[in-house]
Amino acid sequence: MTSLDTRLFGFLACLWGGLLIYFYHSTRIRDYLDIGFHHFIMIGGIGMLILGIYSLINPKSKSNRTGNSKSCCHDHGDHDDKQHSHDHNDCHDHGDHDDEQHSHDHNDCHDHGDHCDHDHEEGHGPFITIFLTLTPLILAMTYTQDKLSNGGMAKKGLYEKPALTSANLPPFTRQDLEKNVPKNEHGEFQLRMISAYYAAGDLEIQGIFEGLPVELEGRIAPEKINNASGDRLRIFRSIITCCAADLQIVGVSLEFPEETNRPQVEDWVKASGTLTFETVDADVLPLLQIREVIPAEEPYSEFRRRQ
Amino acid sequence: MTQERQDQLADGSYEFLAIFLEGLPFIFLGTLVSGFLGTYLPRGAFEKILPKNNTLAVLISGLLGAVFPVCECAVVPVIRRLVKNGLPVSCALAYMLAAPIFNPVTAISTYKAFNNSPEIAISRLAMGYMIAVFIALIVARKAHSFFLKTSVKTENSDEHQHPRNLNAALNNSLRDLMDVGLYFCIGVVLTAILKTTVIDPTDDFWKELANNSIVGSIGMMFLAFVLSLCSTSDAFIAANFHNFKYGPKLAFMVFGPMMDAKLIFLYSTVFKWKFILFLFIAIFILTGALSILFETKILPGWMSQQTEIPLAP
Repeated sequence: MTSLDTRLFGFLACLWGGLLIYFYHSTRIRDYLDIGFHHFIMIGGIGMLILGIYSLINPKSKSNRTGNSKSCCHDHGDHDDKQHSHDHNDCHDHGDHDDEQHSHDHNDCHDHGDHCDHDHEEGHGPFITIFLTLTPLILAMTYTQDKLSNGGMAKKGLYEKPALTSANLPPFTRQDLEKNVPKNEHGEFQLRMISAYYAAGDLEIQGIFEGLPVELEGRIAPEKINNASGDRLRIFRSIITCCAADLQIVGVSLEFPEETNRPQVEDWVKASGTLTFETVDADVLPLLQIREVIPAEEPYSEFRRRQ
Repeated sequence: MTQERQDQLADGSYEFLAIFLEGLPFIFLGTLVSGFLGTYLPRGAFEKILPKNNTLAVLISGLLGAVFPVCECAVVPVIRRLVKNGLPVSCALAYMLAAPIFNPVTAISTYKAFNNSPEIAISRLAMGYMIAVFIALIVARKAHSFFLKTSVKTENSDEHQHPRNLNAALNNSLRDLMDVGLYFCIGVVLTAILKTTVIDPTDDFWKELANNSIVGSIGMMFLAFVLSLCSTSDAFIAANFHNFKYGPKLAFMVFGPMMDAKLIFLYSTVFKWKFILFLFIAIFILTGALSILFETKILPGWMSQQTEIPLAP
């Protein structure tokens, strides 16, 4: 690489590192990655920034080290089609090399006029790399909403029926429920969304959860299942392992009595009521018959990690 | 622009940033390792470490993910440098293909995703290992010119040496970061476009594929290619395709970490495109065949009924 190439690549490394640090520092990273990756983003960003700055201020790599250098001093970065274009007699001095580092004889060992198959770094130049990486980044930064649209969430399972679970699960009893799930001040179980959702796929757990007073916390979305009258909404949580690419969204339908205040789509709420199950087109789906819905404080990250 | 298009643009941007932000630090880590290995690892070091018998060397290389676990993004720059430094390509390929699957993190996540079922986790690891080693052994019989890019070919020990200092290591790292980062970015763009405009895993089309294991396996491999998930998280997605049997789910979990839309561009930093096509076809056929074999011949003996994602209130 030439010094200019190294500086330009260093500049790009600074931009990438700066991007990671920006996402971390602005906390926007919480909308994209599981919380367990956040510090890794910061560390990666700092590392890239250091590498970039180092390359900006110290662009001379293996080339241009003359005098007492033990290294080979010509540049291997910009050759095309495997040909050496320089003259080995004129370009650099071999007088100071010691044998360990530069042991061959340029006259005898190999012919630089022909093919030589050592490292020629035939990667793309800095301008094309900068263009091809910054263009999608700028576009993505411009158009992202830091969340999925309703159509995007539907692709992640917002309106999907739960998978059938199996009898291989460890036995689950009402006593387990009482022991493991906390209650709110009204005596309602503060059930995890994923538990309410997957209960519809397991007859045994359905039997325990049917008619159970529960409180579910999550974000509100429009309901598209069994909602001809338009009275229903859906409450959902996002389940994640690494990043939003592996997002899975689980939701429960909400049915409101007439006198109950209805939340707005996008609100983060605690919804209390009676959990039940309904059959829609032969699929068993969870349904929460609402007692009340109250606004709740949004968590730092609304992603819930898979366990 | 219609609302649907605007949503697709926003969702595509979101998907792109999610994968890019998650993958970039791992790429950086991989290139940092590759830069230092390329600088400080002596030529011919692998000749001393690896068994002389090539088959045995490949078999051992396929197991290295258990000791040096690495994701599919970070492994590419590392093996790129290792090949330059003399690691036999067959060994590098065995490690590259097997490591994202044959490692403890993936094993645990698969075990958890499939309801603490060791059978599925073992099947996945065994399939990944067998396919990686089989392809690597085929490759061992081919000349390097068939698959390696010119820039990645091994440097001969009688050629002149490059300096071994921090400056050279960081320059190598920077060069690798730029090369691999570029192709990673292109691959993520393609993934984001496909995920937001072409593929809808909840569509009835995918659900109907589940009725036939052969078609289902093909469909699930295609889906894995497009979704480009990490090997540590894809088991949770696979477990939720409740219509599909185990064969297609295994195909999804084995094919994806070896070959997906972003990986083909990362592979292009090491291999020629015609070899990547060969790799795609070979992994596709072997994964499909083995997943069907597992489902029809092996798993029935292991499991009496299908299990799904765990439930814990």
